[in-house]
Amino acid sequence: MWRFYGRRFLANRLALAGASVLLFLGLAAVGAPVLSRTDPNQQRLTERLMPPSVHHLLGTDDLGRDVAARMLHGGRVSLRVGLVAVGISVIIGTWVGVTAGFFGGWVDGLLMRVVDIMLCFPTLFLILMVIAFLDPSLWTVMTVIGMTSWPGLARLVRGETLSLRERDFVWAARGLGLSAPRIVLVHLLPNLVVPILVSATLGVGSAILTESALSFLGLGVQPPMASWGNILTSGKDYLHVAWWLSVFPGVAILVTVLALNLLGEGLRDVLDPRS
Amino acid sequence: MDISFPNRISWLSGVAVIGLLTAGCGQDPIPEPALSAASESPVTGDTYVEASLGDPSRLNPLLASDSASGSVNSYVFNGLVKYDRDLKLVGDLAESWDVRRNGLEIVFHLRSNVKWHDGAPFTADDVVFTYERLVDPKVMTPYGSDFALVKSVTALDDHTVRVEYKEPFAPALESWGIGMVPRHVFVGKDFNTHPANRAPIGTGPYRFVQLKTDEKTVLAANPDYFEGRPYIDRVIVRVIPDSSVQFLEMRNQSIDTMGLRPDQYRAYDAFFMNHRKFRYPSFSYTFFGFNLTRPMFHDVRVRRALAMALDKREIIDGVLMGYGRSATGPFPPSSWAFDPTVPEVPFDPGRAKALLAEAGWGDTDGDGVLDKNGSPFAFTVITNQGNKMREQTALILQAHLARVGVRVDIRVLEWSSFIHDFVDKGNFDALILGWNLGRDPDQYLIWHSSQRGEGRYNFVGYDNPETDRLWEQGRRTFDLDQRRAVYQKIHRLLAEDMPYIFLYYPESLPVVHRRFQNVETAPAGIGWNFREWFVPWSLQRYRLAS
Repeated sequence: MWRFYGRRFLANRLALAGASVLLFLGLAAVGAPVLSRTDPNQQRLTERLMPPSVHHLLGTDDLGRDVAARMLHGGRVSLRVGLVAVGISVIIGTWVGVTAGFFGGWVDGLLMRVVDIMLCFPTLFLILMVIAFLDPSLWTVMTVIGMTSWPGLARLVRGETLSLRERDFVWAARGLGLSAPRIVLVHLLPNLVVPILVSATLGVGSAILTESALSFLGLGVQPPMASWGNILTSGKDYLHVAWWLSVFPGVAILVTVLALNLLGEGLRDVLDPRS
Repeated sequence: MDISFPNRISWLSGVAVIGLLTAGCGQDPIPEPALSAASESPVTGDTYVEASLGDPSRLNPLLASDSASGSVNSYVFNGLVKYDRDLKLVGDLAESWDVRRNGLEIVFHLRSNVKWHDGAPFTADDVVFTYERLVDPKVMTPYGSDFALVKSVTALDDHTVRVEYKEPFAPALESWGIGMVPRHVFVGKDFNTHPANRAPIGTGPYRFVQLKTDEKTVLAANPDYFEGRPYIDRVIVRVIPDSSVQFLEMRNQSIDTMGLRPDQYRAYDAFFMNHRKFRYPSFSYTFFGFNLTRPMFHDVRVRRALAMALDKREIIDGVLMGYGRSATGPFPPSSWAFDPTVPEVPFDPGRAKALLAEAGWGDTDGDGVLDKNGSPFAFTVITNQGNKMREQTALILQAHLARVGVRVDIRVLEWSSFIHDFVDKGNFDALILGWNLGRDPDQYLIWHSSQRGEGRYNFVGYDNPETDRLWEQGRRTFDLDQRRAVYQKIHRLLAEDMPYIFLYYPESLPVVHRRFQNVETAPAGIGWNFREWFVPWSLQRYRLAS
């Protein structure tokens, strides 16, 4: 069966392109310390705002730090934020969705009202509010993004669970007297993997965007740690003299999020049996 | 832009609002544009648009402590005295004054033709009322102690005021430069929360029209101004909390003036086609302040070590790009109190480590961060948003201190939250901030131990009986040479005791749109003769509908 999906995936060029870009970015992020010997926080004030050259492939920033090194290390931050935040969001979202969908009744009603309330808030403002009370740091950002992005997934999972719950194999499992946790873990979850995977892939992209926005506003990753968002912020102050400071992180964010979206869409097309 | 001096000392919120009352000057050699029509005679009209990083929150000269409010107040209010182009004290609301009994008594003769913006006459009662509010403990003013030595303020008649001092007070005359507030508006109502603090009534060349929070303040020329109506019809102060955005707006000609960052000043000449650049030393300094109530900063060896670990040359060359100089103490080089013999703290990371070790800080757990009794040497430095130079300074400081094993976190905060929630409440480990100074070297408000406490200027909690005594002595001494000796001693003491690491004296780098005529640099900088600025009819950009 997996070979079948594999073939369908390889035939989907856009998904393949997205996956290749992500593989490349992933390798670059993992290998950042090896790929770039330059310390991303090393300041050389005699070499401020140097345009891209052989010495500094992507130029230097306002404190003479190597932009290429900062981009690589920033990529680690962005991908880590994306993965951890989505991990948190998947765990909460799946748990809430399955519980609501499987048990129904007042449990469903209560959980879905919570989801409705969460969805009422504009997420970015909710995050800004929470971060204003906590000290901004990488962990705060990841946790807060994760904790605020699960309601959409919870709804999706609940919907899928509602339809799975009425399927024959679940009735059979119930008939055999299996416990609820066993039915959920063994019979429901494997059937939920596909929608969760697709939604998570898209979620990573939006988490990376949120992190960039927060760092741009100065509430994300704190200096001197690099992230694409805060490189972009410092670029904004030098738009008139140093285009490379804004263009490279901007393009990096664009390409990454685009690749994740292509991959997510592709996975849905490939894995959806109805297509 | 300050056109008179609203407050003796104020926060320096950012490059955009550096006060323009500065000594020494120099204008950059830019070719005069064709649109300079020097021979034209002044006409009224047009609007002068400035930008400020922060919201001018307190439009009352007694309550304002930030330069955004100070900038607006300087158009709306007058003091009894002001500085002229050569930084001499001259009469403002006072026509003249007599100093009697060796400075123990000053009699101000007020102008008789002055009206408040609501039409009421300005009289000696207003002066008495302003003084009473300044020394009223319920009024949240940081300027009270300037008037603590006043024994009495009496209205001798409608236009004569006698001020008696308990002891001689050298900055006395300058202290009366504070803006006068109208008695008839405030009397019998709560001074701190009165609506007039958001819709001020003053005597100044401009009347308040409108304040939109976080957007703009609009002022209109006062036709009844006692020195004559200013030529520029309106002044608008727009809140633009980011100096890069200000720069774009400047290029777009939507603002007429701003203070440039050194890198902006150096940018292509084409960016300044429509503006003239000016450059002169500012009367201010930027510092790194320790919260001295935190135990880790109690030891002077620790403060010294941190100063030695910081290579200030990198800040001067890299951040200021040469537009400013390294600071040694609380007086800028253009002040007569400046002592050129006070040495710079040498950059010496080796000694810094040794001093820290002497103070008991060592890296016992080998994690690269010094520790003592199990707690690491780590602290957070805060500064305000919008001032790129301070953010860069913080990053450089962070990198340099890391080399001697001190971990610094940086938080960049929005201006009003920075001042009101963190600085005023002493809720910080260390900060980077600047002082915009008055001409008189008296900085009692900043350094005297009595000035600690919420909302006061000695927010670092400095307490040194010796400098306390010297600040008091400096205020009591009239002889210039003796006073200079006192302040030079203070300069040296503070440089040794290091309640701050004095970072740099920046230069003022303002631009003004070329259509404005009569913009003249003087020891007072530019802006001192704002009332005489005008725009020839053909070059006016903004016309009022009426």
